[in-house]
Amino acid sequence: MNLLEIKDLHASIAGKEILRGVNLSVEAGTVHAIMGPNGAGKSTLSAVLTGNPLYEVTAGEIYLRGKNLLTMPPEQRAREGVFLSFQYPVEIPGVSMVNFMRTALNEKRQYQGLQPLSSTEFLRLMRDKRKLVGLADKLQNRSVNEGFSGGEKKKNEIFQMAMLEPCLSILDETDSGLDIDALRIVAEGVNQLRTADNASIVITHYQRLLDYIVPDYVHVLADGQIVKTGGKELALELEDKGYEWLSTQ
Amino acid sequence: MVKHTITQGQIVEEVYLNQSNLDITFTQQEGSTLRLFVVDIQGGQYANHIVVEQAATDCTTEIYHLAYLTDNDKATTHTNVRHLVGGGTSNQLIKFILGGKAKGEFLGELYIAPDAQKTEAHQTNRNLLLSSTAEVRTRPQLEIYADDVKATHGASTGQMDESALFYMQQRCLDENTARRLLLGAFMKDVIEPISDQNKREELLETIDRIIQ
Repeated sequence: MNLLEIKDLHASIAGKEILRGVNLSVEAGTVHAIMGPNGAGKSTLSAVLTGNPLYEVTAGEIYLRGKNLLTMPPEQRAREGVFLSFQYPVEIPGVSMVNFMRTALNEKRQYQGLQPLSSTEFLRLMRDKRKLVGLADKLQNRSVNEGFSGGEKKKNEIFQMAMLEPCLSILDETDSGLDIDALRIVAEGVNQLRTADNASIVITHYQRLLDYIVPDYVHVLADGQIVKTGGKELALELEDKGYEWLSTQ
Repeated sequence: MVKHTITQGQIVEEVYLNQSNLDITFTQQEGSTLRLFVVDIQGGQYANHIVVEQAATDCTTEIYHLAYLTDNDKATTHTNVRHLVGGGTSNQLIKFILGGKAKGEFLGELYIAPDAQKTEAHQTNRNLLLSSTAEVRTRPQLEIYADDVKATHGASTGQMDESALFYMQQRCLDENTARRLLLGAFMKDVIEPISDQNKREELLETIDRIIQ
C-alpha cells in the first residue's frame, strides 16, 4: 500500500476549477518534487490535502495509508500525520510558541492513544528539535510567528515538523524568501527528518531547493494536471528550458 | 458616583472585576499615575461610566477594559479622559467580545483643554464578534483645543481570524480548542499589563475557566 494515493482529484475555489484530475502515488521513504508555473495549482494541491475549507473537492479520492482523507476534518488529517509547512506561516498574537506546541503535540499523542508528555520531557524535546534548525531559544516564549523574520518563520515550520513527526510532510514553497544560508539549514533539517517510513512532497517554483533536498521524483503540474513525471534531472531540464515546452505538447 | 483623588506622585493600580454599573471619577494631581483595569466577563446588562481628570502636569493615565458579552447581554462603557493641564499622557485599550445577540457600545470621550500643550493621548478600541447577530457600536469623541499635542484613536471590529484557525487545525488542534486559544489571547492583552502578579494570575485563570 502506498503512503499517499491521489486519484483523479478535482478541486475548485469560489467556483473556479483549479485542479483538473490530479493523479499521484507517493510511497514511503521517497521525496516528490512538484514544480510548475504560477497558477498551475501547486498551492491548491497542498490546501486540498490538508483540508483547507476555502477549497472544494468536486471529484476524486485521497488515501493516506489506505484511509480516506477527504472525510476527515483538518485536525484529524494532521493527527494522522499530514503536515504542511506553510508558504506564508500565520502570525497568532497572544498564543505563545511553547503553549501552542505543547497543545499540538499532546492532541496528537492523545489521538494515538499516548500519554501527554511531562513538562520536563516536553521542554527537552523542544530544545533538541530547535537545535535541528538552529531556531533561537528566545522565540519559544514569543507569540506564534509574531515578529519572526522570513527565515525564522520557515525554520519555525520545520521545527514544528520535527516536533510532530509527520508521515507525510508537504513543503509549500519553503525556499521562497530564504537566503542561501537559511535555505541550507532548512534543507538539512528536512533531510535529517527523512526516514524509510515517511515521505515528503516538496512544492517549489525553482530548482534551487532541489540541490539541497534531492527528490526521487519530479512532477510538473500545469493547468491543474500532472503533465510530466521524471527523476531529479527533470528539474534541471525545467530550469534550463522553462515550462513553455510542456504546456504546448 | 464615587470620587477618588490621586495625590502628587502617587501610583495607583485599580482592578475592578465584574462590577457592573461602575460609576467612578478620578482626579489626578501632579506626577501621579493611574492604572485602571475594568474587567467585565460575567455579562449581563450594565453601563460603566469612567471619568479621569488630569488636573496637574506630568500625569499618566492607563485604562484597560474588557467586556465579554453573550446571549442577550447589553452593555455600555463610557470613558471620559480629560487633560485639563498639559504634559500628561493617557492610553486606553478597550476590548469587547460579543457573541449571541449581545449588544455593546463604547463611547470614548477625550478632552484636551486649550492650554494643555504637550499632551499625548491614545485610544484603541478592538472588538471581536463571535456571531453574526451580535452588534457593537464604537463612538470616539475627541475634543482637542491645544495645538501642540499627540492624539490618536483607532477602532476595529472583526471576526476570528480564519487563517489562524486553519493553521492551528493543521497543527492537530481541533476547531474548538483553536477558537478558545484565540479568544483567550484576545482577552489576555487587557489583563497582562496588571503589575500585581497575584491578581493578574487569578484573572488569567478566571478567563481560562470562562472560555472552556
